Amino acid sequence: MTSRRKENPLLVFVEDVGRATVRGIAELGYVAGLLGESLYWLVLGPRRRQPVRLAAVFGEMMNIGIQAIPIVAVLNLAIGIMLAIQGIATLKLFGAESQVVVGIALSVTREFSPLLVSILVAGRSGSAITARIGTMLESQEIDALRVIGISPVRYLAAPVLLAMLIIVPTLTILGDFMGMLGGAIYSGVELNISLWAYANRSIEVLAVDDIRQGLVKSTVFAVIIAMVGLSNGFQVRGGAAGVGRATTRSVVMSISYIVLADMLFTYFLNR
Amino acid sequence: MASDRPQPAIIEVQDLVAHYGVRRILDGISLTVNDGEIMVIMGGSGSGKSTLLRYLLGLNRPTSGKVRMLGKDITHMSGQELFELRRNIGVAFQGGALFGSMTVGENIRLPLREHAKLDEQTMQIMTRMKLEVVNLLGFEDLMPAELSGGMVKRAAVARAIIMDPKLLFFDEPSAGLDPVTAAELDELILRLRDAMHMTIIVVTHELESAFKIADRIAVLDAGKILLCGSVDEVRQSGDERIQDILNRRPRNEDVDPEEYLRRLTGEAL
Amino acid sequence: MEYQARVEGPYTVIALAGEVDLHYSPQAREQILHHLGEQKNLLVDLSMVNYIDSSGVASLVEGYQLARKTGLAFGLVGVSEAVLQVLQLARLDKVFPIHASASERIVSDEQA
Repeated sequence: MTSRRKENPLLVFVEDVGRATVRGIAELGYVAGLLGESLYWLVLGPRRRQPVRLAAVFGEMMNIGIQAIPIVAVLNLAIGIMLAIQGIATLKLFGAESQVVVGIALSVTREFSPLLVSILVAGRSGSAITARIGTMLESQEIDALRVIGISPVRYLAAPVLLAMLIIVPTLTILGDFMGMLGGAIYSGVELNISLWAYANRSIEVLAVDDIRQGLVKSTVFAVIIAMVGLSNGFQVRGGAAGVGRATTRSVVMSISYIVLADMLFTYFLNR
Repeated sequence: MASDRPQPAIIEVQDLVAHYGVRRILDGISLTVNDGEIMVIMGGSGSGKSTLLRYLLGLNRPTSGKVRMLGKDITHMSGQELFELRRNIGVAFQGGALFGSMTVGENIRLPLREHAKLDEQTMQIMTRMKLEVVNLLGFEDLMPAELSGGMVKRAAVARAIIMDPKLLFFDEPSAGLDPVTAAELDELILRLRDAMHMTIIVVTHELESAFKIADRIAVLDAGKILLCGSVDEVRQSGDERIQDILNRRPRNEDVDPEEYLRRLTGEAL
Repeated sequence: MEYQARVEGPYTVIALAGEVDLHYSPQAREQILHHLGEQKNLLVDLSMVNYIDSSGVASLVEGYQLARKTGLAFGLVGVSEAVLQVLQLARLDKVFPIHASASERIVSDEQA
């Protein structure tokens, strides 16, 4: 292996690409397996008398969701205000300031709220999940679970997945609301639109489909955050430093995948 | 009980070979553990003893070879069979491996919750009985982070024996403990075997503790079993490596100059 | 498993049998608590028990505690060497009133 490095650089490059590809496919396979097994326990666990613990699901929901409410609310409000500032400034050129309501309603529900919420959750909880699982792996707690006869996937992974699937879309709805409220507040000051009129106009332009688009996206993002966080945690190697590396990798990976998935979605859903 | 069981061997390992990446860590291990005995697996770091334990526990799948436990081959077992088998096995991990999110008491009750349907009151009494056995009664409601290293280890023993397993594994029981606590733990291992008729496998590098508790010792070196025999057999063994280990002499391997030079310069063949 | 109960003098005697393990101890517990609930002075005969695990012992502890709370008598009889060792491990051999048999217990009651 070492000696080949000195040979043909092209060969080395091809070899590296090949290795990276194999690693990538192996990891994808691992994630698919983890997802499949988590779903298996969620659906069939009760029948095998080894259900996924509801207490754990609620615990995760508290960590991932309830504690994220303030920051989700504040940041989405800020995004709404920002969109209003930019929108009014731009639309002023055409004398169509009042159309800002339409722009905010559509871009918040379809794009900004799902994206912002998922990135926040990935940063807050995706990394925490990786760190927690990684630490448990290093301290042999995962081995201890397996030796007791408890599937770590059932005990640790499935609750995270279920909690994410519930929490991320729920937070997205909150984000939708807060984003539009931000827009309404700024527009109210700037354009003298009453909150009531703003709300009516928003409801008028929003189709069920817009909200649904945002929720479909956020569901997919939830799976991404859960699976990236969990798989990085379960694959930690190399002590405390390894946990640190995996945590960073987990955040960068989930945000990258979220943005990429978002792009694909936006492309296909708006054709 | 269970005197009608045909074969006395509780664990039977046959030609176990295992790799980590391309490195061969276990190189054809064969080992038998009999009912009610204390078997100590001894070896230095890198000897493969911790790896062997992982394979005995069914945590990893070997490259080849068989591990029969309580009469069943665990290398080819369904998840459900393995789950049933795990009721009969307790493990005290090196660092305790208590779950940090639960109290000591909840940690100890966890196997019961998974495997048995008992009244809450019964489970609490059982927990406290086990805590009394390991001298930790009264620490039930503390979190693992509030315990000292030795206490965590003892709590882990309580969790390992909560189901009264037939088979009990200890990974480095005395590592990191003060001599008195370590001696107490050795004493406890002997008492568990005598009172509960457990078969106990201890993985350790501590000679003193090994000689005190073992019925038989398997000496592991570089992935192979050098010798498996009684304490006296091990003490009197003529094998040079074993004497090195017993007398704590650093190993003196012969150097192949060719090979060594190649390794240093990174020139693979 | 239905455990046999008989009456000897002032005592109701429950004879546990076989393996009192995770599987059977809930039944043993239920019977012990049932008889105590009916205000019976209780002796648990363990002479036919060839194995008792800690869930079984825990049930005995619970029974003894209930008996003391309600002012009833409670004791173990026919404790074999194997069972005694299990009790010793949890340092319970000094806690339970233990007698060779029900009649011996009755004799010792009279002496007291």
